[in-house]
Amino acid sequence: MPGRSQEDLARFVEQMWDKLDQLSYFDLLGLHTGATVTEIRAAFYRVSHDLHPDRYHRIDNREMKDRLETIYARMCEGYRVLTTPEKRNSYMRLLGEGKKRLTSTDREPRGPQRPEDSIKHEEAKKFFRLGMISLGSKDYKGAAMNFNFAKSFEPNSAVIKQKLAEAQAGLGKPGGPGNR
Amino acid sequence: MSVIGIDLGTTNSVVATVRDGQVIVVPAAHGGYLHPSVVSFSPEGLKYFSREAVARRIVDPKNTVFSGKRLIGLSFRSKEVQKAMTRLPYDLREGNNEQAVFVGPDRTYTIPEVSGLLLGYLRQCAELYLGDTVTGAVITVPANFNDAQRRATIDAGRIAGLDVLRVLNEPTAAALAYGLGQNMSQRIAVFDFGGGTFDVTVLQVEGDVFEVLATGGDSFLGGDDMDTTLLNILAELFRAEHGIDPRNEQMAHARLLIAAEQVKCHLSDYSEARGELKNIAVSNTGEHLALRFHIARNVFETAIRGLVARTIQTTQEVLASVELGPSQIDEVIMVGGTTRVPLVRAEVERYFGRAPRVDLNPDEVVAWGAAIQAENLAHAGDSLANNAVLLDVTPRALGIAVTGGFAERILDRNVPVPVEQTRVFTTSADNQTTVRIQVCQGESRRFDENVPLGELELSGIPATRRGDVSIEVTFRVDTNGILRVRARDAATGAAREAAVNVRGGMSDSEVAEAVERQKSSEMPIDSSLLPEIEV
Repeated sequence: MPGRSQEDLARFVEQMWDKLDQLSYFDLLGLHTGATVTEIRAAFYRVSHDLHPDRYHRIDNREMKDRLETIYARMCEGYRVLTTPEKRNSYMRLLGEGKKRLTSTDREPRGPQRPEDSIKHEEAKKFFRLGMISLGSKDYKGAAMNFNFAKSFEPNSAVIKQKLAEAQAGLGKPGGPGNR
Repeated sequence: MSVIGIDLGTTNSVVATVRDGQVIVVPAAHGGYLHPSVVSFSPEGLKYFSREAVARRIVDPKNTVFSGKRLIGLSFRSKEVQKAMTRLPYDLREGNNEQAVFVGPDRTYTIPEVSGLLLGYLRQCAELYLGDTVTGAVITVPANFNDAQRRATIDAGRIAGLDVLRVLNEPTAAALAYGLGQNMSQRIAVFDFGGGTFDVTVLQVEGDVFEVLATGGDSFLGGDDMDTTLLNILAELFRAEHGIDPRNEQMAHARLLIAAEQVKCHLSDYSEARGELKNIAVSNTGEHLALRFHIARNVFETAIRGLVARTIQTTQEVLASVELGPSQIDEVIMVGGTTRVPLVRAEVERYFGRAPRVDLNPDEVVAWGAAIQAENLAHAGDSLANNAVLLDVTPRALGIAVTGGFAERILDRNVPVPVEQTRVFTTSADNQTTVRIQVCQGESRRFDENVPLGELELSGIPATRRGDVSIEVTFRVDTNGILRVRARDAATGAAREAAVNVRGGMSDSEVAEAVERQKSSEMPIDSSLLPEIEV
């Protein structure tokens, strides 16, 4: 674990800089690959105590600060990936292929993907998202209410109509609260 | 030499510092601790600040700037500025680089310049009170302020002669003031409803670590909107009685707005507000007409219910983004003067199923946190640092324009900062020596549905066949929430020039000029207005 003096930090940067791309997130945070979320968080908090940019705010060696920030940013990235289950799964696959970094955002396909992307009106979009959250938790009444709100802002959207119908169908299901 | 924390608010600002481990708040001229965020200009080049400037909102509305925070860092052409212009009594026009500039009686001022004047005044108040020079400051901003708004705030600080140690998110500052030294393990929500903005932030506090889990908000929702609602109620009362709309006359409008704010505050403590405003208008027959009003709290509450519902909706969305329900929050901290409105408290309590914490002064808690962090940064590495660790997140996603009108996501929203990603760009024509990349902030996949941040220009590329050069561009959002860009030649590793030209922002030379101008023209403040100095 690096200390806090400028000399210690300089040594740490020297050690880490060239091999940064060869280190896995587990290596960076000092963890084994089976580490739990609690262990990962504790490790990240520990490195943050020493390496968060606030800690070397007064050091005026710009290059060293810049490199420290890059190293710490990679630890932040690791923390985020390893504590998000689906990202961790993808990362474990990559790790098997010898890759050390998951840069998920560059693999996203272009073009509309999420259902609300075709909705133009901001308020309609907001209510639509709330409706989707309600739908996800099988709260059909809340979903129908939010989709109706969304529809009041954008009456002609096909996707709102479709989801509203889904919510109403959910309401009508036997055992459900009924909708009329 | 001292460092201070400044909560630069839409309506009021608060300044604090740490002395011998204790936070002290700098008193305001004419009493209290709130410095109204108002600057008034005279044709002779004189400036009036704070309470004195507030008085001039009525006699000289055209030359008195308030709510500058609603404009800072925004392009003149943005819909927010265009909308604000319909309500503000002072004139704005388009300056260099799409900046919104205030048309003053002597010259034009950029918005960071106006805020810089105010910050300079606040620095002087602190210096007088502390009997010490102030060199550095942590300035707080709403968590959802974008890159341009943060940069403009830093420019304002520099113009005020301050070394801006950090722009710190207001809710994070509040959490720091609330939790530092308590050795707690809690998940808290900071519900920050100020004069012009609303945001809600969920944090995990573990000892001296403050981790932001999620944040979200509405930059154009605040107590000001309640004032406008009340102004309309007052104006309608007057129109019903006299048949004249007082909103059409500038001075009457300004007085009604100030009355509306007073009525709002009164209704936080009492169930009704009565009053009379003389000489609001003159009738056809030359008679001076007064507005007599009587507004019950429930009338006000009915009128603002929609505004309050929007805050709860946002809160619900932010919690949902980290898969949390309201019952999984241990404590709710109220920040910002608008949380004094009883309906806001009641709705927050109803949503979370627990009474929010109101024992911390909602007006001062952010400045407290800013002061603590200023001290922390000024002493980084030595024994006086309190060693709190603030783990903040990116306020917005960051993307670049790609073909078809789409935005390619580079950095996600709500991820821990600092964060870094690298992309490789190449030339698309022979002998091309510069590459321009459009950068935007926002979550939408369509470029034009996001906020355009500006243009990234890579220059100094050797003239060669298209596609022969590859340039690696590293995008980093730092702990200020600000984008930094580095570029290098992928083959040789040589650094390339990369600059982001932020739309609506001041250029470096404009800032440098403003810094000089302020340094040479700053007037000492009238110390007789400040309370007795006792440190």
